[in-house]
Amino acid sequence: MRLNFPRTLKTGFKNFYRNGWLSVATISIITVTLFIINIQFAVVISDNLLLNDIKDRVSISVYFKPETTEQDVLLAKEDFGKYQEVASVEYISKEKALEDFKIENADNDIMLKSLEEIETNPFNPTLSVKAHEPRDYELIARAVNDSSYSEFIDTVNYDKYSKVINSLGDEIDANKQTGLALGITLAIIAILITFNSVRITMYAHSREIEIMRLVGASNNYIRMPFVWEGIFYGFISAVIAIPLSFVYLKFVAISEASGVALPISNSVYIKQFLENIFLQNAFKIVPAELGIGILLGAMSSIIAMGRYLGKPRK
Amino acid sequence: MIECKNVSKIYLGDSPALENVSFRIEDKEFVSIIGASGAGKSTLIKILHAEERPTSGEIIFDEDDIVEYKKKQIFQHRRDVGVVFQDFKLLPKKNVFENVAFAMEVAGKTDAEIAEDVPKVLEIIGLEGLEDKYPHELSGGEQQRVAIARALINKPKVLIADEPTGNLDPESGWEVLESLLKINKYGTTVVLATHDREAIDRLNKRVIVLKDGKIISDKNNGKYDLDEK
Repeated sequence: MRLNFPRTLKTGFKNFYRNGWLSVATISIITVTLFIINIQFAVVISDNLLLNDIKDRVSISVYFKPETTEQDVLLAKEDFGKYQEVASVEYISKEKALEDFKIENADNDIMLKSLEEIETNPFNPTLSVKAHEPRDYELIARAVNDSSYSEFIDTVNYDKYSKVINSLGDEIDANKQTGLALGITLAIIAILITFNSVRITMYAHSREIEIMRLVGASNNYIRMPFVWEGIFYGFISAVIAIPLSFVYLKFVAISEASGVALPISNSVYIKQFLENIFLQNAFKIVPAELGIGILLGAMSSIIAMGRYLGKPRK
Repeated sequence: MIECKNVSKIYLGDSPALENVSFRIEDKEFVSIIGASGAGKSTLIKILHAEERPTSGEIIFDEDDIVEYKKKQIFQHRRDVGVVFQDFKLLPKKNVFENVAFAMEVAGKTDAEIAEDVPKVLEIIGLEGLEDKYPHELSGGEQQRVAIARALINKPKVLIADEPTGNLDPESGWEVLESLLKINKYGTTVVLATHDREAIDRLNKRVIVLKDGKIISDKNNGKYDLDEK
Protein backbone atom coordinates (compact mmCIF):
# COMPACT_ATOMS: atom_id res chain seq x y z
CA MET A 1 0.00 0.00 0.00
CA ARG A 2 3.00 2.30 0.40
CA LEU A 3 2.94 2.54 -3.40
CA ASN A 4 -0.33 4.42 -3.19
CA PHE A 5 1.46 7.60 -2.20
CA PRO A 6 3.42 8.23 -5.44
CA ARG A 7 0.62 6.79 -7.57
CA THR A 8 -2.13 8.96 -6.17
CA LEU A 9 0.20 11.98 -6.21
CA LYS A 10 0.85 11.42 -9.90
CA THR A 11 -2.85 11.05 -10.69
CA GLY A 12 -3.66 14.13 -8.63
CA PHE A 13 -1.07 16.15 -10.51
CA LYS A 14 -2.44 14.95 -13.86
CA ASN A 15 -5.98 15.95 -12.85
CA PHE A 16 -4.62 19.30 -11.77
CA TYR A 17 -2.88 20.24 -15.00
CA ARG A 18 -5.50 18.71 -17.28
CA ASN A 19 -8.08 20.98 -15.63
CA GLY A 20 -6.38 23.97 -17.28
CA TRP A 21 -8.45 27.10 -16.81
CA LEU A 22 -10.42 25.57 -13.99
CA SER A 23 -7.18 25.24 -12.04
CA VAL A 24 -6.19 28.80 -12.92
CA ALA A 25 -9.54 30.14 -11.73
CA THR A 26 -9.40 28.15 -8.51
CA ILE A 27 -5.86 29.26 -7.76
CA SER A 28 -6.79 32.88 -8.49
CA ILE A 29 -9.59 32.95 -5.97
CA ILE A 30 -7.54 31.27 -3.25
CA THR A 31 -4.66 33.63 -4.01
CA VAL A 32 -6.91 36.67 -3.65
CA THR A 33 -8.24 35.31 -0.36
CA LEU A 34 -4.79 34.72 1.06
CA PHE A 35 -3.62 38.09 -0.26
CA ILE A 36 -6.41 39.98 1.48
CA ILE A 37 -5.88 38.00 4.68
CA ASN A 38 -2.17 38.87 4.50
CA ILE A 39 -2.77 42.58 3.97
CA GLN A 40 -5.31 42.64 6.76
CA PHE A 41 -2.83 40.89 9.03
CA ALA A 42 -0.10 43.40 8.14
CA VAL A 43 -2.44 46.34 8.73
CA VAL A 44 -3.56 45.08 12.14
CA ILE A 45 0.01 44.49 13.24
CA SER A 46 1.28 47.83 12.01
CA ASP A 47 -1.73 49.50 13.66
CA ASN A 48 -0.55 47.99 16.91
CA LEU A 49 2.98 49.23 16.27
CA LEU A 50 1.52 52.69 15.73
CA LEU A 51 -0.56 52.52 18.89
CA ASN A 52 2.37 51.36 20.99
CA ASP A 53 4.52 54.07 19.56
CA ILE A 54 1.96 56.74 20.41
CA LYS A 55 1.44 55.27 23.88
CA ASP A 56 5.16 55.51 24.36
CA ARG A 57 5.21 59.19 23.53
CA VAL A 58 2.33 60.12 25.75
CA SER A 59 2.60 61.03 29.40
CA ILE A 60 0.91 63.14 32.05
CA SER A 61 2.76 66.31 32.72
CA VAL A 62 2.45 67.48 36.32
CA TYR A 63 3.46 71.15 36.47
CA PHE A 64 4.52 72.34 39.93
CA LYS A 65 4.30 75.92 41.09
CA PRO A 66 7.52 77.82 40.43
CA GLU A 67 8.34 78.23 44.11
CA THR A 68 8.23 74.47 44.86
CA THR A 69 11.55 73.16 46.08
CA GLU A 70 13.33 70.43 44.21
CA GLN A 71 13.15 68.29 47.33
CA ASP A 72 9.35 68.38 47.37
CA VAL A 73 9.17 67.55 43.69
CA LEU A 74 11.48 64.60 44.17
CA LEU A 75 9.38 63.37 47.10
CA ALA A 76 6.31 63.61 44.89
CA LYS A 77 8.16 61.70 42.17
CA GLU A 78 8.92 58.90 44.57
CA ASP A 79 5.32 58.75 45.80
CA PHE A 80 3.74 58.81 42.31
CA GLY A 81 6.13 56.10 41.21
CA LYS A 82 4.56 53.82 43.79
CA TYR A 83 1.15 53.83 42.07
CA GLN A 84 0.41 50.47 40.55
CA GLU A 85 -0.79 52.00 37.28
CA VAL A 86 2.34 54.12 36.80
CA ALA A 87 5.07 52.81 34.56
CA SER A 88 7.64 55.54 35.07
CA VAL A 89 8.08 59.05 36.42
CA GLU A 90 10.63 61.46 35.03
CA TYR A 91 11.73 64.68 36.74
CA ILE A 92 12.31 67.71 34.54
CA SER A 93 13.82 70.63 36.43
CA LYS A 94 13.17 74.28 35.53
CA GLU A 95 16.64 74.51 33.99
CA LYS A 96 16.24 71.32 32.01
CA ALA A 97 12.86 72.50 30.70
CA LEU A 98 14.40 75.80 29.59
CA GLU A 99 17.27 74.02 27.88
CA ASP A 100 14.94 71.59 26.09
CA PHE A 101 12.81 74.50 24.94
CA LYS A 102 15.86 76.32 23.56
CA ILE A 103 17.00 73.26 21.69
CA GLU A 104 13.54 72.60 20.27
CA ASN A 105 13.18 76.20 19.12
CA ALA A 106 16.75 76.80 18.01
CA ASP A 107 15.49 77.92 14.62
CA ASN A 108 12.75 80.12 15.97
CA ASP A 109 14.15 83.59 16.61
CA ILE A 110 10.93 85.16 17.81
CA MET A 111 10.57 82.53 20.51
CA LEU A 112 14.14 82.87 21.65
CA LYS A 113 13.93 86.68 21.68
CA SER A 114 10.76 86.72 23.69
CA LEU A 115 12.39 84.35 26.13
CA GLU A 116 15.31 86.76 26.51
CA GLU A 117 12.92 89.62 27.17
CA ILE A 118 11.31 87.83 30.10
CA GLU A 119 14.76 87.45 31.66
CA THR A 120 13.59 84.94 34.25
CA ASN A 121 13.03 81.21 33.63
CA PRO A 122 9.30 80.94 32.91
CA PHE A 123 9.22 77.14 33.19
CA ASN A 124 7.87 75.19 36.10
CA PRO A 125 9.49 72.09 37.54
CA THR A 126 7.65 69.19 35.97
CA LEU A 127 7.09 65.47 36.50
CA SER A 128 6.37 63.43 33.42
CA VAL A 129 4.31 60.37 34.38
CA LYS A 130 3.79 57.41 32.08
CA ALA A 131 1.08 54.82 32.62
CA HIS A 132 1.07 51.14 31.65
CA GLU A 133 -2.34 51.52 30.01
CA PRO A 134 -3.68 54.67 28.36
CA ARG A 135 -7.07 54.30 30.04
CA ASP A 136 -5.37 54.75 33.44
CA TYR A 137 -4.26 58.32 32.75
CA GLU A 138 -7.48 59.78 34.01
CA LEU A 139 -7.23 57.80 37.25
CA ILE A 140 -3.59 58.80 37.73
CA ALA A 141 -4.38 62.43 37.06
CA ARG A 142 -7.13 62.37 39.65
CA ALA A 143 -4.88 60.67 42.20
CA VAL A 144 -2.17 63.26 41.60
CA ASN A 145 -4.63 66.10 42.08
CA ASP A 146 -5.95 64.57 45.30
CA SER A 147 -2.51 63.80 46.71
CA SER A 148 -0.85 65.59 49.60
CA TYR A 149 1.23 67.44 47.03
CA SER A 150 -1.78 69.18 45.52
CA GLU A 151 -0.86 72.49 47.15
CA PHE A 152 2.39 72.51 45.13
CA ILE A 153 0.77 71.54 41.86
CA ASP A 154 -0.06 74.13 39.30
CA THR A 155 -1.73 72.09 36.56
CA VAL A 156 -2.03 68.48 35.46
CA ASN A 157 -2.18 67.93 31.74
CA TYR A 158 -3.32 64.62 30.45
CA ASP A 159 -6.57 64.57 28.52
CA LYS A 160 -5.08 66.07 25.40
CA TYR A 161 -3.79 62.66 24.37
CA SER A 162 -5.68 60.06 26.30
CA LYS A 163 -8.90 60.59 24.37
CA VAL A 164 -7.06 60.27 21.08
CA ILE A 165 -5.39 57.09 22.27
CA ASN A 166 -8.61 55.58 23.50
CA SER A 167 -10.43 56.24 20.27
CA LEU A 168 -7.47 54.99 18.29
CA GLY A 169 -7.51 51.81 20.35
CA ASP A 170 -11.23 51.38 19.71
CA GLU A 171 -10.73 51.91 16.02
CA ILE A 172 -7.96 49.35 15.86
CA ASP A 173 -10.13 46.84 17.70
CA ALA A 174 -12.95 47.45 15.24
CA ASN A 175 -10.47 47.04 12.42
CA LYS A 176 -9.33 43.71 13.80
CA GLN A 177 -12.92 42.47 13.95
CA THR A 178 -13.71 43.61 10.42
CA GLY A 179 -10.50 41.99 9.23
CA LEU A 180 -11.35 38.74 10.95
CA ALA A 181 -14.87 38.68 9.53
CA LEU A 182 -13.57 39.49 6.06
CA GLY A 183 -10.90 36.79 6.34
CA ILE A 184 -13.39 34.14 7.45
CA THR A 185 -15.88 35.08 4.72
CA LEU A 186 -13.22 34.90 2.03
CA ALA A 187 -11.88 31.63 3.39
CA ILE A 188 -15.38 30.13 3.16
CA ILE A 189 -15.73 31.38 -0.41
CA ALA A 190 -12.34 29.92 -1.27
CA ILE A 191 -13.34 26.56 0.22
CA LEU A 192 -16.59 26.57 -1.79
CA ILE A 193 -14.78 27.40 -5.03
CA THR A 194 -12.15 24.70 -4.49
CA PHE A 195 -14.92 22.30 -3.48
CA ASN A 196 -16.65 23.07 -6.76
CA SER A 197 -13.51 22.56 -8.83
CA VAL A 198 -12.84 19.21 -7.20
CA ARG A 199 -16.48 18.22 -7.77
CA ILE A 200 -16.16 19.04 -11.46
CA THR A 201 -13.00 16.94 -11.71
CA MET A 202 -14.76 14.16 -9.85
CA TYR A 203 -17.68 14.10 -12.26
CA ALA A 204 -15.26 14.14 -15.17
CA HIS A 205 -13.67 11.07 -13.62
CA SER A 206 -16.84 9.36 -12.48
CA ARG A 207 -16.30 6.41 -14.83
CA GLU A 208 -12.79 5.95 -13.58
CA ILE A 209 -14.02 6.08 -10.00
CA GLU A 210 -16.69 3.49 -10.78
CA ILE A 211 -14.11 1.15 -12.32
CA MET A 212 -11.72 1.72 -9.44
CA ARG A 213 -14.43 0.55 -7.06
CA LEU A 214 -15.19 -2.50 -9.22
CA VAL A 215 -11.59 -3.65 -9.17
CA GLY A 216 -11.48 -3.18 -5.40
CA ALA A 217 -9.90 0.22 -4.79
CA SER A 218 -10.35 1.43 -1.23
CA ASN A 219 -12.11 4.73 -0.58
CA ASN A 220 -8.78 6.23 0.43
CA TYR A 221 -7.15 5.18 -2.80
CA ILE A 222 -9.97 6.80 -4.76
CA ARG A 223 -9.99 9.91 -2.60
CA MET A 224 -6.27 10.64 -2.52
CA PRO A 225 -5.78 12.03 -6.07
CA PHE A 226 -8.55 14.55 -5.42
CA VAL A 227 -7.08 15.52 -2.07
CA TRP A 228 -3.75 16.04 -3.81
CA GLU A 229 -5.46 18.19 -6.39
CA GLY A 230 -6.89 20.40 -3.63
CA ILE A 231 -3.49 20.54 -1.96
CA PHE A 232 -1.91 21.72 -5.23
CA TYR A 233 -4.47 24.51 -5.50
CA GLY A 234 -3.80 25.70 -1.95
CA PHE A 235 -0.05 25.31 -2.08
CA ILE A 236 0.42 27.15 -5.36
CA SER A 237 -1.94 29.93 -4.23
CA ALA A 238 0.13 30.43 -1.08
CA VAL A 239 3.34 30.45 -3.11
CA ILE A 240 1.87 33.26 -5.23
CA ALA A 241 0.16 35.17 -2.42
CA ILE A 242 3.21 35.58 -0.17
CA PRO A 243 5.47 37.51 -2.58
CA LEU A 244 2.43 39.31 -3.99
CA SER A 245 1.51 40.64 -0.55
CA PHE A 246 5.12 41.54 0.17
CA VAL A 247 5.53 43.45 -3.07
CA TYR A 248 2.19 45.18 -2.58
CA LEU A 249 3.09 46.34 0.93
CA LYS A 250 6.62 47.30 0.04
CA PHE A 251 6.04 49.17 -3.18
CA VAL A 252 2.38 50.05 -3.44
CA ALA A 253 1.19 50.62 0.11
CA ILE A 254 4.32 52.46 1.18
CA SER A 255 4.83 54.66 -1.83
CA GLU A 256 3.43 58.08 -0.94
CA ALA A 257 2.77 58.93 -4.55
CA SER A 258 0.53 55.95 -5.13
CA GLY A 259 -2.24 57.56 -3.13
CA VAL A 260 -3.26 54.25 -1.64
CA ALA A 261 -4.65 55.04 1.75
CA LEU A 262 -4.60 52.17 4.16
CA PRO A 263 -6.85 52.65 7.18
CA ILE A 264 -5.05 54.36 10.07
CA SER A 265 -1.62 52.87 9.53
CA ASN A 266 0.86 54.98 7.81
CA SER A 267 3.69 53.77 5.70
CA VAL A 268 6.28 54.04 8.47
CA TYR A 269 4.63 51.28 10.46
CA ILE A 270 4.02 49.06 7.46
CA LYS A 271 7.70 49.38 6.72
CA GLN A 272 8.50 48.59 10.34
CA PHE A 273 6.24 45.55 10.11
CA LEU A 274 7.95 44.29 6.95
CA GLU A 275 11.47 44.86 8.19
CA ASN A 276 11.21 44.05 11.88
CA ILE A 277 8.45 41.48 11.97
CA PHE A 278 7.94 39.84 8.59
CA LEU A 279 11.53 39.44 7.47
CA GLN A 280 12.70 38.40 10.94
CA ASN A 281 9.99 35.73 11.23
CA ALA A 282 9.71 34.75 7.58
CA PHE A 283 10.83 31.20 8.37
CA LYS A 284 7.73 30.85 10.56
CA ILE A 285 5.23 32.96 8.60
CA VAL A 286 5.91 31.42 5.17
CA PRO A 287 5.43 27.79 6.26
CA ALA A 288 2.34 28.83 8.23
CA GLU A 289 0.85 30.42 5.13
CA LEU A 290 1.71 27.40 2.98
CA GLY A 291 0.07 25.30 5.67
CA ILE A 292 -3.09 27.39 5.57
CA GLY A 293 -3.20 27.07 1.78
CA ILE A 294 -2.73 23.30 1.90
CA LEU A 295 -5.34 22.98 4.63
CA LEU A 296 -7.88 25.04 2.68
CA GLY A 297 -7.35 22.89 -0.42
CA ALA A 298 -7.31 19.53 1.31
CA MET A 299 -10.39 20.32 3.39
CA SER A 300 -12.38 21.36 0.34
CA SER A 301 -11.49 18.12 -1.44
CA ILE A 302 -12.33 15.93 1.52
CA ILE A 303 -15.71 17.64 1.85
CA ALA A 304 -16.28 17.30 -1.91
CA MET A 305 -15.46 13.57 -1.88
CA GLY A 306 -17.32 12.81 1.33
CA ARG A 307 -20.85 12.24 0.14
CA TYR A 308 -19.80 10.98 -3.26
CA LEU A 309 -17.96 7.97 -1.93
CA GLY A 310 -20.28 7.07 0.89
CA LYS A 311 -20.76 3.43 1.82
CA PRO A 312 -18.88 0.80 -0.16
CA ARG A 313 -21.94 -1.47 -0.36
CA LYS A 314 -25.59 -0.53 -0.78
CA MET B 1 -16.35 -22.62 -2.92
CA ILE B 2 -19.35 -20.28 -2.98
CA GLU B 3 -22.49 -21.10 -1.08
CA CYS B 4 -25.66 -19.01 -1.05
CA LYS B 5 -28.02 -19.83 1.79
CA ASN B 6 -31.60 -18.54 1.59
CA VAL B 7 -30.57 -15.27 0.00
CA SER B 8 -33.36 -12.71 -0.47
CA LYS B 9 -33.21 -9.16 -1.70
CA ILE B 10 -36.20 -6.89 -1.41
CA TYR B 11 -36.03 -3.35 -2.78
CA LEU B 12 -38.25 -0.88 -1.00
CA GLY B 13 -41.84 -1.07 -2.21
CA ASP B 14 -41.11 -3.75 -4.79
CA SER B 15 -41.73 -7.47 -5.10
CA PRO B 16 -38.61 -9.42 -4.08
CA ALA B 17 -35.76 -9.38 -6.62
CA LEU B 18 -34.44 -12.57 -5.05
CA GLU B 19 -36.38 -14.96 -2.83
CA ASN B 20 -34.74 -17.70 -0.77
CA VAL B 21 -32.08 -18.45 -3.32
CA SER B 22 -29.75 -21.28 -2.27
CA PHE B 23 -27.03 -23.01 -4.27
CA ARG B 24 -23.47 -24.17 -3.93
CA ILE B 25 -20.68 -23.73 -6.46
CA GLU B 26 -17.57 -25.86 -6.02
CA ASP B 27 -14.06 -24.67 -6.82
CA LYS B 28 -13.14 -24.76 -10.52
CA GLU B 29 -16.77 -25.11 -11.60
CA PHE B 30 -18.24 -23.31 -14.62
CA VAL B 31 -21.79 -22.25 -13.79
CA SER B 32 -24.21 -20.26 -15.93
CA ILE B 33 -27.11 -18.33 -14.44
CA ILE B 34 -29.92 -17.65 -16.89
CA GLY B 35 -33.29 -16.01 -16.71
CA ALA B 36 -35.44 -13.40 -18.41
CA SER B 37 -34.89 -9.70 -17.76
CA GLY B 38 -35.85 -8.91 -14.19
CA ALA B 39 -35.44 -12.51 -13.05
CA GLY B 40 -32.78 -11.39 -10.55
CA LYS B 41 -29.52 -12.26 -12.36
CA SER B 42 -27.98 -8.82 -12.00
CA THR B 43 -29.00 -8.53 -8.37
CA LEU B 44 -27.40 -11.89 -7.63
CA ILE B 45 -24.17 -10.84 -9.39
CA LYS B 46 -24.08 -7.57 -7.44
CA ILE B 47 -24.54 -9.41 -4.18
CA LEU B 48 -21.77 -11.89 -5.04
CA HIS B 49 -19.47 -8.96 -5.88
CA ALA B 50 -20.41 -7.18 -2.61
CA GLU B 51 -21.87 -4.17 -4.40
CA GLU B 52 -25.16 -4.82 -2.68
CA ARG B 53 -26.14 -6.38 0.61
CA PRO B 54 -28.87 -9.05 0.63
CA THR B 55 -31.92 -8.33 2.76
CA SER B 56 -31.45 -11.74 4.38
CA GLY B 57 -29.42 -14.90 3.94
CA GLU B 58 -25.74 -15.84 3.91
CA ILE B 59 -23.15 -15.88 1.14
CA ILE B 60 -20.17 -18.02 2.06
CA PHE B 61 -16.94 -17.60 0.14
CA ASP B 62 -14.64 -20.42 1.29
CA GLU B 63 -15.27 -19.96 5.01
CA ASP B 64 -16.37 -16.34 5.34
CA ASP B 65 -19.85 -14.90 5.14
CA ILE B 66 -19.33 -11.87 2.89
CA VAL B 67 -22.54 -10.29 4.19
CA GLU B 68 -20.67 -9.65 7.43
CA TYR B 69 -17.67 -8.06 5.70
CA LYS B 70 -16.42 -4.68 6.86
CA LYS B 71 -15.30 -1.96 4.45
CA LYS B 72 -11.70 -3.14 4.17
CA GLN B 73 -12.72 -6.76 3.57
CA ILE B 74 -15.15 -5.63 0.88
CA PHE B 75 -12.34 -3.91 -1.04
CA GLN B 76 -10.20 -7.03 -0.66
CA HIS B 77 -13.11 -9.27 -1.74
CA ARG B 78 -13.48 -7.29 -4.98
CA ARG B 79 -9.78 -7.83 -5.70
CA ASP B 80 -10.25 -11.55 -5.07
CA VAL B 81 -13.27 -11.81 -7.36
CA GLY B 82 -12.76 -10.72 -10.94
CA VAL B 83 -15.76 -9.22 -12.68
CA VAL B 84 -16.64 -8.59 -16.33
CA PHE B 85 -19.59 -6.57 -17.64
CA GLN B 86 -21.62 -6.27 -20.79
CA ASP B 87 -20.28 -2.74 -21.46
CA PHE B 88 -16.63 -3.73 -20.81
CA LYS B 89 -16.00 -0.73 -18.51
CA LEU B 90 -12.57 0.06 -19.91
CA LEU B 91 -10.91 3.44 -19.44
CA PRO B 92 -10.89 5.12 -22.86
CA LYS B 93 -7.77 7.17 -22.20
CA LYS B 94 -5.66 4.20 -21.17
CA ASN B 95 -4.22 1.67 -23.58
CA VAL B 96 -4.65 -2.09 -23.24
CA PHE B 97 -1.59 -2.52 -21.04
CA GLU B 98 -2.57 0.38 -18.76
CA ASN B 99 -6.17 -0.78 -18.46
CA VAL B 100 -5.02 -4.15 -17.18
CA ALA B 101 -2.22 -2.67 -15.05
CA PHE B 102 -4.76 -0.34 -13.41
CA ALA B 103 -6.28 -3.21 -11.40
CA MET B 104 -2.82 -4.16 -10.13
CA GLU B 105 -2.03 -0.56 -9.16
CA VAL B 106 -5.24 -0.39 -7.16
CA ALA B 107 -4.21 -3.59 -5.37
CA GLY B 108 -0.88 -1.97 -4.47
CA LYS B 109 1.37 -4.14 -6.67
CA THR B 110 4.84 -2.89 -7.58
CA ASP B 111 5.79 -1.67 -11.06
CA ALA B 112 8.07 -4.71 -11.41
CA GLU B 113 5.20 -7.11 -10.67
CA ILE B 114 3.02 -5.22 -13.13
CA ALA B 115 5.66 -5.42 -15.87
CA GLU B 116 5.91 -9.16 -15.30
CA ASP B 117 2.26 -10.18 -14.91
CA VAL B 118 0.42 -8.06 -17.47
CA PRO B 119 2.10 -9.52 -20.60
CA LYS B 120 1.50 -13.05 -19.28
CA VAL B 121 -2.22 -12.51 -18.83
CA LEU B 122 -2.52 -10.74 -22.18
CA GLU B 123 -0.93 -13.78 -23.80
CA ILE B 124 -3.29 -16.22 -22.10
CA ILE B 125 -6.27 -14.19 -23.31
CA GLY B 126 -4.76 -13.85 -26.79
CA LEU B 127 -4.19 -10.12 -26.79
CA GLU B 128 -0.43 -10.11 -27.31
CA GLY B 129 0.65 -7.38 -29.71
CA LEU B 130 -2.28 -5.12 -28.79
CA GLU B 131 -0.67 -3.66 -25.64
CA ASP B 132 -0.40 -0.14 -27.07
CA LYS B 133 -3.87 0.03 -28.62
CA TYR B 134 -6.60 2.13 -27.09
CA PRO B 135 -10.09 0.67 -26.51
CA HIS B 136 -11.62 2.57 -29.47
CA GLU B 137 -9.08 0.90 -31.77
CA LEU B 138 -10.27 -2.59 -30.77
CA SER B 139 -13.26 -4.72 -31.81
CA GLY B 140 -15.96 -5.40 -29.23
CA GLY B 141 -14.67 -8.94 -28.68
CA GLU B 142 -11.14 -7.68 -28.11
CA GLN B 143 -12.38 -5.03 -25.68
CA GLN B 144 -14.25 -7.67 -23.71
CA ARG B 145 -11.14 -9.81 -23.58
CA VAL B 146 -9.18 -6.83 -22.22
CA ALA B 147 -11.82 -6.63 -19.49
CA ILE B 148 -11.34 -10.35 -18.81
CA ALA B 149 -7.57 -9.85 -18.63
CA ARG B 150 -8.11 -7.05 -16.13
CA ALA B 151 -10.44 -9.26 -14.09
CA LEU B 152 -7.84 -12.04 -14.05
CA ILE B 153 -4.76 -9.97 -13.34
CA ASN B 154 -5.02 -10.19 -9.56
CA LYS B 155 -5.35 -14.00 -9.83
CA PRO B 156 -8.90 -14.29 -8.51
CA LYS B 157 -10.29 -17.66 -7.50
CA VAL B 158 -13.63 -16.66 -8.99
CA LEU B 159 -14.51 -14.76 -12.15
CA ILE B 160 -18.01 -13.31 -12.46
CA ALA B 161 -19.19 -12.38 -15.94
CA ASP B 162 -22.41 -10.38 -16.25
CA GLU B 163 -23.75 -10.65 -19.82
CA PRO B 164 -20.24 -10.56 -21.29
CA THR B 165 -21.51 -11.35 -24.80
CA GLY B 166 -24.52 -9.03 -24.71
CA ASN B 167 -22.94 -6.39 -26.92
CA LEU B 168 -21.12 -8.75 -29.28
CA ASP B 169 -21.86 -10.50 -32.54
CA PRO B 170 -22.15 -14.32 -32.18
CA GLU B 171 -18.64 -15.01 -33.38
CA SER B 172 -16.92 -12.48 -31.06
CA GLY B 173 -19.21 -13.67 -28.30
CA TRP B 174 -18.05 -17.21 -28.76
CA GLU B 175 -14.40 -16.06 -28.68
CA VAL B 176 -15.06 -14.43 -25.33
CA LEU B 177 -16.72 -17.59 -24.00
CA GLU B 178 -13.75 -19.62 -25.21
CA SER B 179 -11.50 -17.33 -23.14
CA LEU B 180 -13.71 -18.00 -20.14
CA LEU B 181 -13.53 -21.76 -20.75
CA LYS B 182 -9.76 -21.50 -21.02
CA ILE B 183 -9.29 -19.73 -17.73
CA ASN B 184 -11.76 -22.15 -16.13
CA LYS B 185 -9.54 -24.97 -17.35
CA TYR B 186 -6.58 -23.26 -15.65
CA GLY B 187 -8.49 -23.45 -12.36
CA THR B 188 -10.60 -20.30 -11.98
CA THR B 189 -14.22 -20.74 -10.97
CA VAL B 190 -16.47 -19.00 -13.54
CA VAL B 191 -19.96 -17.67 -12.85
CA LEU B 192 -21.64 -16.53 -16.05
CA ALA B 193 -24.91 -14.62 -16.11
CA THR B 194 -26.39 -14.48 -19.59
CA HIS B 195 -29.40 -14.88 -21.81
CA ASP B 196 -27.36 -15.93 -24.79
CA ARG B 197 -29.24 -19.11 -25.81
CA GLU B 198 -26.69 -20.27 -28.32
CA ALA B 199 -23.86 -19.88 -25.85
CA ILE B 200 -25.58 -21.91 -23.14
CA ASP B 201 -26.49 -24.74 -25.48
CA ARG B 202 -22.97 -24.88 -26.84
CA LEU B 203 -21.22 -24.68 -23.43
CA ASN B 204 -23.00 -27.73 -22.10
CA LYS B 205 -22.16 -26.84 -18.46
CA ARG B 206 -24.14 -26.48 -15.26
CA VAL B 207 -27.08 -24.06 -15.63
CA ILE B 208 -29.09 -22.38 -12.87
CA VAL B 209 -32.40 -20.91 -14.04
CA LEU B 210 -33.89 -17.93 -12.21
CA LYS B 211 -37.50 -16.85 -12.57
CA ASP B 212 -39.10 -14.02 -10.59
CA GLY B 213 -36.24 -14.14 -8.11
CA LYS B 214 -36.43 -17.88 -7.47
CA ILE B 215 -34.36 -20.79 -8.68
CA ILE B 216 -36.60 -23.01 -10.80
CA SER B 217 -33.94 -25.35 -12.10
CA ASP B 218 -30.30 -26.28 -11.44
CA LYS B 219 -28.85 -28.94 -13.75
CA ASN B 220 -25.48 -30.11 -14.97
CA ASN B 221 -25.16 -30.14 -18.77
CA GLY B 222 -28.16 -27.78 -18.83
CA LYS B 223 -29.76 -26.29 -21.89
CA TYR B 224 -31.35 -22.89 -22.41
CA ASP B 225 -34.88 -23.34 -21.14
CA LEU B 226 -36.32 -20.55 -19.03
CA ASP B 227 -39.43 -22.48 -17.96
CA GLU B 228 -37.85 -25.83 -17.25
CA LYS B 229 -39.07 -27.49 -14.10
